[in-house]
Amino acid sequence: MPWIDLNRSIRRTLLIVLLPAAIALMGAAWVIHGALLERMAHSFVEDRLREEVGFLRHRLNQAHGSVEALNTGAYFEQVLHHAFAVRVGSRQYVSPSSWSSLLVPLLEESRTGFIRRTGADGEISDYLAYRETFERQGREAVIVVAEDLSRLGASQRELHIWTAVVSAVLLGLLVLVIWIAIRLSLASVARLQAALKELQQGERERLDIETPAEFQPLVGQLNQLLDTLDQRLIRSREALANLSHSVKTPITAVRQVLEEREQPLDWDMRQQLARRLSDIDGQLETEMRRSRFAGAQAGKGAAPVSQARELLWMLGRLYPEKDFELETAMADEHRWPIEEYDLNEILGNILDNAGKWAASSVTLSLREDETGLVIEASDDGPGVPQEQLATLGARGQRLDEQAAGHGLGLAIVRDVVRRYDGRVVFDLSDSGGFRARIVLPERISL
Amino acid sequence: MRLLLVEDDSLLAESLERQLSAAGFSVDSIATASGASQLGRQEDYRVVVLDLGLPDGNGLDVLRKWRSHGVTMPVLILTARGDWQDKVSGLKAGADDYLAKPFQTEELLARLDALIRRSEGRVDSVIAAGRFRLDENRQVLETPDGEEHPLTGTEFRLLRCLMSRPGQLFSKEKLLEQVYNLDESPSHNAIEAYIRRLRKLAGQEAIVTRRGQGYMFNAMD
Repeated sequence: MPWIDLNRSIRRTLLIVLLPAAIALMGAAWVIHGALLERMAHSFVEDRLREEVGFLRHRLNQAHGSVEALNTGAYFEQVLHHAFAVRVGSRQYVSPSSWSSLLVPLLEESRTGFIRRTGADGEISDYLAYRETFERQGREAVIVVAEDLSRLGASQRELHIWTAVVSAVLLGLLVLVIWIAIRLSLASVARLQAALKELQQGERERLDIETPAEFQPLVGQLNQLLDTLDQRLIRSREALANLSHSVKTPITAVRQVLEEREQPLDWDMRQQLARRLSDIDGQLETEMRRSRFAGAQAGKGAAPVSQARELLWMLGRLYPEKDFELETAMADEHRWPIEEYDLNEILGNILDNAGKWAASSVTLSLREDETGLVIEASDDGPGVPQEQLATLGARGQRLDEQAAGHGLGLAIVRDVVRRYDGRVVFDLSDSGGFRARIVLPERISL
Repeated sequence: MRLLLVEDDSLLAESLERQLSAAGFSVDSIATASGASQLGRQEDYRVVVLDLGLPDGNGLDVLRKWRSHGVTMPVLILTARGDWQDKVSGLKAGADDYLAKPFQTEELLARLDALIRRSEGRVDSVIAAGRFRLDENRQVLETPDGEEHPLTGTEFRLLRCLMSRPGQLFSKEKLLEQVYNLDESPSHNAIEAYIRRLRKLAGQEAIVTRRGQGYMFNAMD
């Protein structure tokens, strides 16, 4: 239906579909009613004509074929409302006499059964006749019974017009009901619009209004988005405040020392300055990394296999004497609901760590099982002492307190995985090397 | 040993130049992408230190230009953005290593040493079979449609074996021998998985299976 643009307006679509449909259906009902009425009246008339022929024949038999016996005056006409003509042998009788010009020719007709005559001149222009012939004591008898259809047609038309009036009234009511139903059901949209406007003008913080079931997911998602934005704002303000606090002090210290003209810069002083700058760098790095993580978000995903391939290839180039292999049954295009940058941080850090420590090979395995999305990297290096495994990359430990070389990258991994409500397990591989296993939920929890 | 230093921060460039000279390099320092692009092609450097953020262009574009002109010296890129995608694009553009700023001079010198050692005796070698090209240095397969596919170690060794003699049949045992070290114990299934993966990159017809005998590379000329 090209003339209905579903994206334009629900109200418009409903009106465009329902109003013509109501009118067309009502019209069709009226036409069908007319046709049925016509058919019913017709068969009623035919039945009566046939019955009356039978009655007249019975009477004729009772009167031993005497045509005059049928002349019972006005009674017959009043009871039957029909005209009839009878001929037995050469005698004939027509009642009432006003019909004789019409019925006498029918007596001479050769056909039997129903005969319809329309458009004849005179008083009666449209009539239906039933003609029957039979033998009576060697003489041919003919009976014709006729009914004036114009009177019947007039009452039929009147009835049909009344039906039209009633249909029109019902149609009016139906349109009214449709209109009210559309208005009522779209009132919630108007409420939603008003609430959105209030939201934009800052008069409202959330869309906490009653909505029909169809709009609940939409409103829920919007509110969640607003929550996320709020949290993000709070987090980035806190991060910037922390950063500013922890960076301004060492900057002040360095500038103070550099501005002291009289004081010569000896080696010890230089080292202290360098340490302050390293602190600043460390703080910047930590905070920037935190704000770069997306965390679980609707509508974000990445293809782990192709990303892993690129990283494995890169590490293969950086450590040309070591093997980096991928084990997976997933297709290159298969997507996980993990934001691309975040997934790169996870994969890059565990692979880089494995590459640093491996003796000759690193294996990365990507799979999906009942526990969730599993990333597993193992190397054939010296591994890590059992007692250090649990605290590796844990929060609260300073970077320089981390096991040498393993620390920073794994701390980042823990940080990202926590944003996705995932789990990180560090243990030893079969060959005694280090193994990092990360399990992420299949569905992001918003 | 001649070294090209491309860095636009004059303070950093001067300090690095001094320290690299002290370490025994003869350093040419340049601060612009256009100058670097020209110098890299004209002169014969042993190694290059390349900063990515330059005032008149991106270091990666300079690197791509060099590589497309067949300039093969090892390149170490310096980047301030430490994310993985950056590193991958750097290496894809033809870099040999990266170092995130800020770095310590000892670290830089160690990396340069390693790069130079690694590149010694290295020749730009490409195995060509039909319209497929396998870059041995970069472990990259170039397919006839001009696309480059990075390969992992085993994929590369397997393909190198097959592509070195196109049309010759290799049994699974032979391939296992060529591809794996002694201490690893791979199965025939592993070879099949790698062949499947390689077919996905090079096309179904590129690697032919002879049932019960093995595989061969079909150059499709």
